[in-house]
Amino acid sequence: MDDNVISAMIFVSIGLGSLGLFAFLWGLKSGQFDDSNKFLGGALHDSEEDLNSAKKMTDKQEKIKKGEKK
Amino acid sequence: MQSSSNLYSCSHCHLEFESTTMIFESLDQKDYSFCCKGCQSVFHLLKDEGLDSFYDKVGSKKLHSVNNEHSSLSKFDQEGYAKKYITTNNNLNEISLIIEGIHCNACVWLNERILHQCDGIIEASINYTNHKAKISWNPKEIKLSQIVAQIQSIGYNAYAYDSSLQEARVNKVRKDYYSRLLVGIFCTMNIMWIAIAQYAGFFTGMSQSIKDILNFAEFILATPTLFYTGWFYFKGSYYGLKNKMINMDFLIVSGTLSTYFYSIYVSLTGVGEVYFESVTMIVTFIFAGKYLEVLSKKNAVDSLDGISSSIPSEQTIIINGNKKTVDTTMVKTDDIIEVRPGEKIAIDGILDNYTGNFDEASISGESNPIYKKQGDKITSGTICLDSVIQYRASKDFANSMIQSITTLLEESLTKKPKIEKLVNQISGYFSLMVLIMALLTFVGWKILGVSFEDAFIIAISVIVIACPCALGLATPVATLIGVSLGAKKGILFKTSSHLETMAKATTIVLDKTGTITNGKPDVIHFVKEKEFDLNLLYSLVKSSIHPISKSIVNYLEGIDKNIKEYTLNDTKNIEARGLKADFNQLNLVGGNIELFKEMNIDFKLNTSHSVFVFSINNEIVCYLELEDQLKTDAFKTIDNIKKLGLEIIMCTGDNSNVANSVAKKIGIDNVYSAMLPEDKANIVEDLQRDNKIVITVGDGINDALALSSSDIAIAMGNNTDLTVKVSDIIFINNKITTLYDAIVLSRSVFSTIKQNLFFSLIYNFVTILFAVLGYVIPVVAAISMSLSSLIVVGNSLRIKRIFKNGR
Repeated sequence: MDDNVISAMIFVSIGLGSLGLFAFLWGLKSGQFDDSNKFLGGALHDSEEDLNSAKKMTDKQEKIKKGEKK
Repeated sequence: MQSSSNLYSCSHCHLEFESTTMIFESLDQKDYSFCCKGCQSVFHLLKDEGLDSFYDKVGSKKLHSVNNEHSSLSKFDQEGYAKKYITTNNNLNEISLIIEGIHCNACVWLNERILHQCDGIIEASINYTNHKAKISWNPKEIKLSQIVAQIQSIGYNAYAYDSSLQEARVNKVRKDYYSRLLVGIFCTMNIMWIAIAQYAGFFTGMSQSIKDILNFAEFILATPTLFYTGWFYFKGSYYGLKNKMINMDFLIVSGTLSTYFYSIYVSLTGVGEVYFESVTMIVTFIFAGKYLEVLSKKNAVDSLDGISSSIPSEQTIIINGNKKTVDTTMVKTDDIIEVRPGEKIAIDGILDNYTGNFDEASISGESNPIYKKQGDKITSGTICLDSVIQYRASKDFANSMIQSITTLLEESLTKKPKIEKLVNQISGYFSLMVLIMALLTFVGWKILGVSFEDAFIIAISVIVIACPCALGLATPVATLIGVSLGAKKGILFKTSSHLETMAKATTIVLDKTGTITNGKPDVIHFVKEKEFDLNLLYSLVKSSIHPISKSIVNYLEGIDKNIKEYTLNDTKNIEARGLKADFNQLNLVGGNIELFKEMNIDFKLNTSHSVFVFSINNEIVCYLELEDQLKTDAFKTIDNIKKLGLEIIMCTGDNSNVANSVAKKIGIDNVYSAMLPEDKANIVEDLQRDNKIVITVGDGINDALALSSSDIAIAMGNNTDLTVKVSDIIFINNKITTLYDAIVLSRSVFSTIKQNLFFSLIYNFVTILFAVLGYVIPVVAAISMSLSSLIVVGNSLRIKRIFKNGR
């Protein structure tokens, strides 16, 4: 087997694993696992209007961020 | 919305009421009914805002009916309030609030949605588990009072929560440690596979190019572990060096860092073997032990917060007949506080004109509700069960029972026992010694002609295996378990160092009243000489607050549930003798034997107990004998303590007759009676002069002097403030059996500490010897070192079992 294949396998697998790890750490840091009840119950309230509300919230946050840059 | 027979269910809160109290309304050809204006207005608001899908989400769950009477909102915009609770970041304000009235996920949804719709609110997230909300907003667009008003408009209430609390801090630390541990575990798991490939290649042959690839992969995995997971050790050793101390962290850093750089050197030159996997494993294993320590600390803090988190942060006080909500810490002595049913009392006080049942389980362990009336003391931490009461604060928040307990526990967790301080000093010297020994080992093996690589690895093993983690863990883990187990048993240690002194104690000095006995007389005999109406006796004793009268009232209520009180005329107290009253031409007299002697009524009884005689129209109809009874299991406890080899002395202010009779019953030989407070203190000091370590147990102000001069002072739970201040240990459950538990617990903790220290010293000595001789490679050293820490932790956990066997 070519050396390149071995190195590709090792680094791709470590890379993918790290991706998962970082995603989990990011989730942990942003408090997504703080409240398991809400986390599980959240699925019940995942309607169109909830999405709209979330979008509105993100818009507001972005507006503030843009204002800071100016 | 008619639900059953005559009851209508409110369209908002779903509580059921009779039709006469309901407000009916038709909207879009549908009928709605509301229990109050509040519910109706919230219902309309949700409809107008397009949030009526809340009712689908909430289903048939019952909510609180909406309370429109909220306190003034102006306080939220005051400067002092902002300073205390609001943090500012990038021109955005942030606050933690506790939302009252959250029942289910739908409530969380509704609150978040209503806040999201407000202009100026940038983030609002509510934790369902603890009802805490984190809100950030732009102060130029919206004020905090408006945000709270928004929450109140939909029928909930919000108050600020101080996020600097212990729990929040510990959670943050735990999260940080958890992330670091995860990175460590992830890298270790991956590096192990690569290491297996390398070992296989070592024995079966492997091309240099493959070896280079594997080395590089290991390097990538080892680097974050060493510098991210192992960051604490770098920090620890830096602070150690700054204080001119070589500590355990420095050993770990020097061991792993030198292996790491040596491995880089090997990978670059291609000569020898790399040891990246050792670096990763050493750091991760030791860090796992550290994480366990943080977890156990978290558990201890959890039990603390269990006591303090439910204390309401605001109080309703009455000023000139008007209600006003103030911060709990702002309540002053003599303020009148109003408490609603189900609320927890935050401030100690005395009941004025109100009665109610109180749940004192969290303070005294008493499971039955306790009825309290005018003049009774109410303690913070208890819960008012059934009525709205007003009471007068007798202390401010900081000095109230619940806050004192929390502070005591916090202090005991942070103060270190003497033995731990000694261990820290020793491990400093120990670390320096190990470094020198490692250097000598390296030089020694080199002189013996071993290759640089082998000699270096043996020296690293010496450093790693000698890391005296077990030595460092030996004391704190055991005391931590001891203190938290004590708290569960109703024993509060002011500092954990008292565990150590308590374990070494040789003599116990006990007070009698309130410590060995209950401190209040109980009826032990009730003899009827003639038939009569028991209600007469009940009515007479009910008119007095003397302890004997109170006991008789309790006794009579116990034997006759239907007993009732008559209105008596001309009730008179006869000083130190008894009571007199008239009822429908009957002349009632009750009191001690002296009173009847003075009245020339012949009554003789040979007894050592207090006697209460009752006569109707100068004819004796009954008498009762009362005794201050021994606490439950007092005899057994004293007997058990004697078996532990402790000398027991009883000191009391009572006369010798009473003192000796109690001492005889309970099995104490050394009795000092008719003692003044100074005499008690002198006895304690005399004992100390004989090189005895004295525990004093007392409950009254008369014991305070003796308590303050003894080595360990224990206050019983029903104590006065003074005794609590001078004492080292407090028994909140007020039981004498706790004394035995406390001694057993402290002895168990102390012997565990000694076992731990002995084990870790022997362990270090033997393993270092093996390492110096070159029998141990770094990975094995790291594993066995973690194993030793685990053994110490496991041994300490055995303390938890001492109360399980039949106790």
